[in-house]
Amino acid sequence: MKFIIDRFDGKKNYQQTYTVERKDIEALTLLGTLLFIKQHQDLTLNFTASCRMAICGACGVRVNGHAYLGCDTKMTELFEEYKDAETFRISPLANYTVLSDLVVDWEPAIENLRKIKPGLVAKDEFSEKEGCRQNQEQYDRIVGQWDCILCGVCASECNKLTADHSDYMEPFVFTHAWKLANDSRSKDPMIHTKAAVTNGLWNCVHCHECTNRCPKHISGAEDIAGLRALAMRKGLNSGVGPAHAKSFYTDLVEDSGRLNEIRLALRTEGMGTALRAGTAITLMSAGKMNPLEIFGGHEIEGHKDLVKMIEAAHAAHKE
Amino acid sequence: MQKEFAFFPGCVLTQAAIEAKMSIEAIAPVLGITLKEMKGWSCCGASQAQDVDPLATLVANARNLALAEQMKLPVLTTCSTCLLMLRRAKAELDNGKKENINTFLARGNMHYQGTSEVTSLLWLLAQNAEEIKAKVKKPLSKLKVAVFYGCHSIRPHKDLGFESSTNPTSFETVVRALGAEVVPFTKRLDCCGFHAVYPAEKSVMKMTSGIVNSAAESKADCVVMPCPLCQMQLDIYQDDAQETTKSKARLPVIHLAQLVGLALGIDARNWVWIITS
Repeated sequence: MKFIIDRFDGKKNYQQTYTVERKDIEALTLLGTLLFIKQHQDLTLNFTASCRMAICGACGVRVNGHAYLGCDTKMTELFEEYKDAETFRISPLANYTVLSDLVVDWEPAIENLRKIKPGLVAKDEFSEKEGCRQNQEQYDRIVGQWDCILCGVCASECNKLTADHSDYMEPFVFTHAWKLANDSRSKDPMIHTKAAVTNGLWNCVHCHECTNRCPKHISGAEDIAGLRALAMRKGLNSGVGPAHAKSFYTDLVEDSGRLNEIRLALRTEGMGTALRAGTAITLMSAGKMNPLEIFGGHEIEGHKDLVKMIEAAHAAHKE
Repeated sequence: MQKEFAFFPGCVLTQAAIEAKMSIEAIAPVLGITLKEMKGWSCCGASQAQDVDPLATLVANARNLALAEQMKLPVLTTCSTCLLMLRRAKAELDNGKKENINTFLARGNMHYQGTSEVTSLLWLLAQNAEEIKAKVKKPLSKLKVAVFYGCHSIRPHKDLGFESSTNPTSFETVVRALGAEVVPFTKRLDCCGFHAVYPAEKSVMKMTSGIVNSAAESKADCVVMPCPLCQMQLDIYQDDAQETTKSKARLPVIHLAQLVGLALGIDARNWVWIITS
């Protein structure tokens, strides 16, 4: 069988094909296969790896266009996923600058991590003697996110980063911000949340690649949603992102119970923009929407009961 | 084949994608499927409301699922975002939140049990591809189709889980059953950007354009999608997106149910006119 590996020697990109016997690698991990190729065929093949036990996060690579943690992926799993393919394409993580073969530059991502102040700023009650104690529930809330090993697999597949990374950050950066904002020992969640908001929190496109690929089963997308809800509760609600999300909630609870796309556009973009060049006009000119819908939207059957249910939930949550 | 479903159209099918509702309701009787629209269904939150109030969103979807349970039927939707929201709510409820949320549903004399599964039109058709093939009257043998899955029909796998999210085959299976040719299409699993068209318009236009260009490069005659939100994004914003990237490629973008309707030989004049591209 064949492995086509993307290579870069500092000047030019090229693909190199390595032929191996399936029996030699089928009991190995993906990282084991790369090591096998390096040891038996090509000492010049460059990649990063260290712990081989899914702790250091160094061996993320792409297989057939999807990111995997090399040491945490069995070749048998890849044979199953790709239906016993005879050829695999291995590439460096996407959305990073390639330095050499499968080795990428982490510095810009780490710069982004610094923006959300990734260290815990402890509450004033913290002391050297007593520490800053957590109960089991408080610990359980954040323990999943503490598992992030900075492997970059989420960032590799993020559709927003691929489109434009200048107004966004790697999903794991938002996960770290969520973790610190929701840690009971943190002095102020907004230290981390504000920086997330100003560095693209509302620009997530909801592709869920981050959640899907994480080898530690962390959901970057859910952490982004959690940070957004926290920011909204704390009054950081200006801009089209918050206005757009809020308008869905308004339709669900305060209006008919269903979405009205014309009103949604007006609420999100503001009357002036929407009527000048916004989505409402695009929808109408594409024949997708009757302008009279602005007055439409009968209240759904049982809506008053739905509102009662939500009010009861809110009341119980406050208790 | 399961023949009867509690139909959850989702908001977009009642307004901006009314043609998707017309087409799914037209193909259902031909396929021997009965769709009973759930009375009083509410917005699922559209992958947005949870950013404002996750608790209210879960309550609303628990109520939606309870409505289907009252009908003693599984839920069927064609909107992938509704599919994700409903399935995610069901997973949350079934994994420990049921009792708590039921205390709130009781205010409207409703109760969630966890007895109604949630499926999509795409999955139903894929599971019954042979049966559908036998009902095809006008095989789409000259049509080259680019199948675009859309994120929320495959990702996240933990909530959807019908098939591999990196190497899915359901859509190809269905389109081939209709007699059409599926072309290799690099961006078939990409994101159209719909959910961020307001806050990240520039990026989203680039994403939309990339998908249309990829389909055009593969010599497709059209792009087909199961999700009405992806369809809307690639259809109504196509000109804007292509102008942004200075691309001349333009392709018709149609709903899965429309393609099925054409192959079943249904008179589609009523609901194909809306294809604007």
